[in-house]
Amino acid sequence: MTRILKSLTALAIGASLVAGCAPYRSADSTKLTERTAPVTMNSVVFTDYNLSRSWDGGIFGDKERYRLSLVQHGQRPTATGTTEVYAVLRNHTDYDYRIEARTQFFDQDGVPADVKPTWQRSTIPANSISTYRELSTSTQPLQYRVEIRELN
Amino acid sequence: MFKKNALTSVCAAAATALVLSGCATPNENIKGKPSVYEDVSTTGAVGGVGIESQDVVAMTDQMMRDMLANPMLTGRSTSPRIIIDNEYIKNESTSVINTNMLTDRLRIELNRAANGRMIFVGRHFSDMVQKERDLKRDGAVDGGTIRQTAAQAGADFRLGGRISSLDAIDRNTGTQSRYSQITFEMVDLELGTIVWSGLYEMRKAARDNVVYR
Repeated sequence: MTRILKSLTALAIGASLVAGCAPYRSADSTKLTERTAPVTMNSVVFTDYNLSRSWDGGIFGDKERYRLSLVQHGQRPTATGTTEVYAVLRNHTDYDYRIEARTQFFDQDGVPADVKPTWQRSTIPANSISTYRELSTSTQPLQYRVEIRELN
Repeated sequence: MFKKNALTSVCAAAATALVLSGCATPNENIKGKPSVYEDVSTTGAVGGVGIESQDVVAMTDQMMRDMLANPMLTGRSTSPRIIIDNEYIKNESTSVINTNMLTDRLRIELNRAANGRMIFVGRHFSDMVQKERDLKRDGAVDGGTIRQTAAQAGADFRLGGRISSLDAIDRNTGTQSRYSQITFEMVDLELGTIVWSGLYEMRKAARDNVVYR
């Protein structure tokens, strides 16, 4: 009984040590999940990994670090038939974050459509949420991909 | 005797000048720094508090998208005729900017994106059109291949606007701050009502000694 208890204790200590050794990935790491993630339509991505990043933590599951997160996103048609895309972002830090965002539109076949995307500047107040909106110029049904980065 | 002395002095002076010019430091052909292209939609290597390329691109892009989502402009059964030029865009700010940069980009991007949902009247080309019309009417040239109209196109709407600014300087640090406000308004040319409005505002702070031309 004592032997089993000792083994369990040793195992627990070993596991906690290993957990402490689970790799931490910085924003410039080449092993971030986002770097090789496939491009998906109707999605919002952080192209600046200082804002949000995740990586494979091995037996301890996926690891994640973020300053901003995505609350929700979607699209709807406007009165003239163009497409309006929105993304609600949440700032988890105690500092105002100035970001740039742009939307690339694709048609239903995944072919790039609409005009060239332009970076739009916005500020997300500390510990608050903010909404980014973008309008398409075309009236055809579109898919979107929103990219967000920190304003330099 | 005097002539010989003078000649000797002149020769000596010339020889000294030649020796000195030979000792002068040669001009080195220093390698210059090559120019680089920058993305017009992002802040470049030189940046100040004024209206810059990224602001021109961002504001005209935003106005274009907003106009195309306005049913009073693009939801009509007959496409409206619109004038977009800088005739009624006033720069009342401290920023040095050619307002044609705003209106030209806006008109061209809108014309490309609207794809017939708006018709743009080139009022800034009206004298060019009138000259050709006169030549046709006088019989100096033939009538062309398209059609003949009684007059040039009249417009339904015209863009007006204003650029204004508010400056502040911290005399301790030399930091300069400028709040810029750019307004765009589309006016009904019969009734005088404003059917669409757009506002772009920004505040920039910098200590760089940038000169805009």
